[in-house]
Amino acid sequence: MGTFIQLVIDGLSSGSIYAALALAIVLVNQATGLINFAQGGMAVLSAYIAWQLTAWSVPLLLAILISIAASFVIGAIVERFLIRKFEGGDPDTAVVVTIGLLTLITGICAWIWSYNNKLFPSLFPLETISIAGAVVSVRSIGTILAIVAIMVLLQLLFLGTKLGLALRAVAINPQSAAFSGMPVGRLLMVGWGLAASLGAVAGALVAPQLTLTPNMMDSALVYALAAVIIGGLTSPIGVVIAAWLIGVLENLAAVYVPLIGHDLKIAVPFIMIFVVLIVRPQGLFGRKAVVRV
Amino acid sequence: MSTATAVMRKPWVRWAVIAIVVVLAIVLPLVLPEFANTTLARIGVFAVAVLGLNVVMGYTGQVSLGQIFFLGLGAYVTAYGVQQDWNIVLVFVLACLIPAVVGLLVALAAARLGGLAIAMVTIALPIVGVPLAKRLSEFTGGSQGLSARFTAAPEWTGLYDDQWQLYIVLLIAGISFLLTRNLVRGKYGRAFAIVKGNEAVAGSMGISPYRYKVLAFTVASLLGGVSGFLYMVVIQYTSPETLSFGHSITLLASMVIGGAGSILGSLLGGAYYVLTPQLTNLIDPGLTAVLQGAILLIVLFVLPGGLVSLPRLFRRRRGREQGGGAAAAKAAASATAVPSTSAPDGADVTTHPPTESEERRQDT
Repeated sequence: MGTFIQLVIDGLSSGSIYAALALAIVLVNQATGLINFAQGGMAVLSAYIAWQLTAWSVPLLLAILISIAASFVIGAIVERFLIRKFEGGDPDTAVVVTIGLLTLITGICAWIWSYNNKLFPSLFPLETISIAGAVVSVRSIGTILAIVAIMVLLQLLFLGTKLGLALRAVAINPQSAAFSGMPVGRLLMVGWGLAASLGAVAGALVAPQLTLTPNMMDSALVYALAAVIIGGLTSPIGVVIAAWLIGVLENLAAVYVPLIGHDLKIAVPFIMIFVVLIVRPQGLFGRKAVVRV
Repeated sequence: MSTATAVMRKPWVRWAVIAIVVVLAIVLPLVLPEFANTTLARIGVFAVAVLGLNVVMGYTGQVSLGQIFFLGLGAYVTAYGVQQDWNIVLVFVLACLIPAVVGLLVALAAARLGGLAIAMVTIALPIVGVPLAKRLSEFTGGSQGLSARFTAAPEWTGLYDDQWQLYIVLLIAGISFLLTRNLVRGKYGRAFAIVKGNEAVAGSMGISPYRYKVLAFTVASLLGGVSGFLYMVVIQYTSPETLSFGHSITLLASMVIGGAGSILGSLLGGAYYVLTPQLTNLIDPGLTAVLQGAILLIVLFVLPGGLVSLPRLFRRRRGREQGGGAAAAKAAASATAVPSTSAPDGADVTTHPPTESEERRQDT
């Protein structure tokens, strides 16, 4: 039983990181209608920025906050000067653009910081506490709480502020939003910036566990995309629940299903996708898209 | 182009072009140095992989990030079959069929969700494939990989190994290109095009987008398997590294840079895949990824049609510069595609790059 609880909490912790990345993907998709495959790469870049700052002996928390702010600016710049040209065009081309961006950012990280693993200090103490006979690391609980707090903040931003209202309006109908005088271009930049910041949080939380490498987020991106498919692109809450589900199930499968084990646990979301796609193609919580001809 | 096209339409010119290509394919391996032969053979391998990607992405408009997985699968099947001393023809058939069946199964699930779901599902293929290949070490040799040497030149030919390998690649890749060209120019190609253009319209015309997406994906996987077989012919070694995610991305970049939805573009894409790392390594090995990403983005910005659209772009620009007089008349003649009005004029255009204009004409 102790192992089980431990596995579930660790699963929720890694699920939270997938959730952050998945939410960033949903945020971008809602605003600009495309899937940003570079979201993970951008998160790695943010983590490297934070690492570089700590290497210059900036305190860790401050370094992460600066990297989050920097990521906001980077995300906005990427939207303005790269993605803007392809918005509203062929979505496949836009996807290829984000894949080019992923290659470019990974290449830049590798070029500046090399492919060698870098140790990223953890924001939370490495101690463990015991809950109901289970040994649980403080880091896992801290990660979960941090992500939940950020989700509450995001929800407040979207539902309680004027900026959030404007962002939602642009997401629903950019043309009408423009007609009613909203600066659509700037709002899209804000949307991309927010997504990049969210990715930065995910990067800073996952880096201590995985150690920092340019390809660190590749598998996290797969989990996040799986969460997006399973949860449904239109439902942020569904995406978060799906991400937690993936995190917990893959952890349990790695230990209790010998056929899968730790090396193949990345196949778990893939199997889940198969099941969900066959039973419920619009995702667990998604709405069925109706196309007007 | 049209004067060229007009000349190209004459049957004897087409046959002459085909004859020249065939003669070149037979003679070149004999006279080129070994390095050029292996490079050409590798271009052939990846051109087939890019061709498969083009069927699903360029022609049918479904983003696939997993093409390298099918190449790797074909390579593993080939290596395993050769190690078990199976008949080489059987190995080839299996190397085509197994990836095709796997592709079919994946597509059956992935094509159910419209739009970008195929992209999001196929990204998992290489990422799951690498640990899977390591795990099934009984068949795949684990991290060390498998090597299979079955393409030494038979003695009666008197050829060197590299020449023999290039002949095999030319033959199989040539047939793959020919069959794919026929596929995308016929009834299926038109169905793919309408599915790419507008799925709702395709459905209203009685063309099931789902079925054609699955078909395109299966064909792409089959061609991936073929390229995997050719990979073993040329490189003779495969490991989990073969099907890494990065290679899949490069394959996709090659397709876009060569030219999406173009047969000749696939060939250019294969050349890009093989030659760019060689060139960027000369500049700075650390910069390879940066340069590849930058090249991809630049191509998307300035040349969305890929390298294959370059001649068209130049022609349009030249037509714009030559404002009036005889030049305009010539441009007008070429724009309206009057057949064979100026045979001597067109002849000197076509003799210059015969193979290229031949293939381009087929694409458009």
